[in-house]
Amino acid sequence: MARILVIEDDPATAAEIASCLTAGGFDPEQSFDGPAGLKAALAEPFDAITLDRMLPGCDGLEVLKGLRAAGCDAPVLMVSALGDVDDRVTGLRAGGDDYIVKPFAPNELLARLEVILRRHRRPPSAELMLKVADLELDLVKREAARGGRRIELLPMEFKLLEFMMRNAGQTLSRRMIFEAVWEYYFDPGTNLIDVHVGRLRRKIDVGDARPLFRTERGVGYTLNAD
Amino acid sequence: MQIRALLRTTTFRLSALYGLIFAFALVALLGLVYLRSAVYLTRRVDGILTVEADALQRAPPADLRARVDEALTLNGQSNNVFGLFGRDGARIAGDLPALPASLTPGGRPIEIGPTSMFHAPARLIARRLASGEVLVVGRDVGQLREIRAIIASALIWSGGAVIVIGLACGVAFSLAPLRRLRTLQEACAEIAGGELTRRLPISGARDELDLFAGTVNLMIGEVARLMGEVKGATETIAHDLRTPLTRARAQLHRLQQSGAPEPAEIARVTAELDTVLERFRALLRISELEARDRRAGFVATDLAGVIGEVGELYQPLAEAGGVRLSWSGAPGAVVEADPKLLFEAVSNLVDNAIKFTGEGGTVSLGLGEDPARPRIVVEDNGPGIPAAERGAVRQRFYRGERDRLAPGSGLGLSIAAAIVGLHRFTLELEDAAPGLRAVIDCRPALS
Repeated sequence: MARILVIEDDPATAAEIASCLTAGGFDPEQSFDGPAGLKAALAEPFDAITLDRMLPGCDGLEVLKGLRAAGCDAPVLMVSALGDVDDRVTGLRAGGDDYIVKPFAPNELLARLEVILRRHRRPPSAELMLKVADLELDLVKREAARGGRRIELLPMEFKLLEFMMRNAGQTLSRRMIFEAVWEYYFDPGTNLIDVHVGRLRRKIDVGDARPLFRTERGVGYTLNAD
Repeated sequence: MQIRALLRTTTFRLSALYGLIFAFALVALLGLVYLRSAVYLTRRVDGILTVEADALQRAPPADLRARVDEALTLNGQSNNVFGLFGRDGARIAGDLPALPASLTPGGRPIEIGPTSMFHAPARLIARRLASGEVLVVGRDVGQLREIRAIIASALIWSGGAVIVIGLACGVAFSLAPLRRLRTLQEACAEIAGGELTRRLPISGARDELDLFAGTVNLMIGEVARLMGEVKGATETIAHDLRTPLTRARAQLHRLQQSGAPEPAEIARVTAELDTVLERFRALLRISELEARDRRAGFVATDLAGVIGEVGELYQPLAEAGGVRLSWSGAPGAVVEADPKLLFEAVSNLVDNAIKFTGEGGTVSLGLGEDPARPRIVVEDNGPGIPAAERGAVRQRFYRGERDRLAPGSGLGLSIAAAIVGLHRFTLELEDAAPGLRAVIDCRPALS
């Protein structure tokens, strides 16, 4: 069971995050301010850390810099009420692995945490061919095929499928998809991502083939391998 | 009025400085006159003395005493001094009681004060005669001294007067501006106290204080306008957030009463709260946009690229909603902009257009025709926005009537307006008859 250190000053939010992590199959440990969090993170190994950007008496960024300076390489998910692109960039530059803006759905937090954990355990390789069940994506020829049958994809659909295949088995929130594929960090609102995933899904899951796409209610989508 | 405050005013300092400079120049001028005249007069006296002494020295020694006596007799106005002293320094003839110690025969002339035998100060020159006796010739310099004294006193008095007058003028000139500053200060204090309708008084002299007061008045006007806008926005926000919060509260209350809540009912409450959160997020986004450093992230951006990207992103959404979305634009319309923000602004306009046009409608996204004036045009054939409401979109946090029932934050136009404002572009909403035409003018004519 992956151990997660939750550095968050607001007790209610911390408890919420912890219970959501427990429900998601993680083992959370809480820390309520910057110095204590830094000490805890360096005292024993954690698989990942969620770090509030604004802590009493110290900036979450300072904690993050302290962690990285001390050689801790656990993936860090920054949690912030600051949503601006600039704040996000500062957070990632300081060594954060992902950035989530308050308020967030518990599932969004879990989804992002799982993605950074997985990326940390198995860094993205320079694969030339991605495979999920009988779905194949040739990154060199830029071709997709399912069960040997060619699938025509628009450039954006290709990018979307590549992202989903690289994170196969992971729940991906709409916002994560929008950020990773379109590289925009504002709230797309409405069901913009749904229609894009829906289009792609209709091209992949056709006929009698076992459906690979799964809708995660209220969160997003999973591309399933099993 | 405090003296120290007065002494610190610029007017006083300048007046005092000019006074000092003038006094210095005057003293220098008078000093020069004094020096030149005194030296000239003294030299003239010395010349006369030398001529007379030489003449007497050349006279035969036997005649000398007679000549001295004659000269003394002729000296009716007693302007001249004569003296003949023996080899031992004893007085032989003339009106000098003794030979002054500092007077050396053949040397430079000296000046002495009045003596028992001569009524006035005199300038003397001495010559040693062949006989070894000493001849002294002198001249009354009382007048010369008087002239010198007159010039010197003129110097002191006029210099002093100029300094005093300069200071007085400094004080007098400073009083009026200082009094005006006081009234400006009082007005400012009132304004700082919240009297935003108060303005700084303008004297009409069109001087620098008037210019300054005018600028400050403009600033206060702008502050008052913004305060009013914030107040209006706050009221709007309070209203918009209170509605879903009140509903959520009522629903929670009902759930509490019922005892066993249905999952569907809880979902409804969650949906209400999600609406609140979404609006909050949009409001925060607008504040962030307004607080941004204007030029950070600005690059040369081709509007056709932005349009194409937005079109591709929204085409599936439009199709799903039964709306025909078309976009076109030739590359080449390049403006300085933050492409990500511009994308967000156009996205919001297109999102709104699709949402409000409804099934069967069309939305077109394009560029203006004039290449010198790049514009992004989003046009739909939906119900549009009433003319009276179109102007209001420029206000912060504006939510239109039609937004109250639609999903989403309802602040899309406000976000677009904030981004457009950040770029110093303009956003115009026009009647497309039917529908709405939103135009982002990327090079607005300067008003």
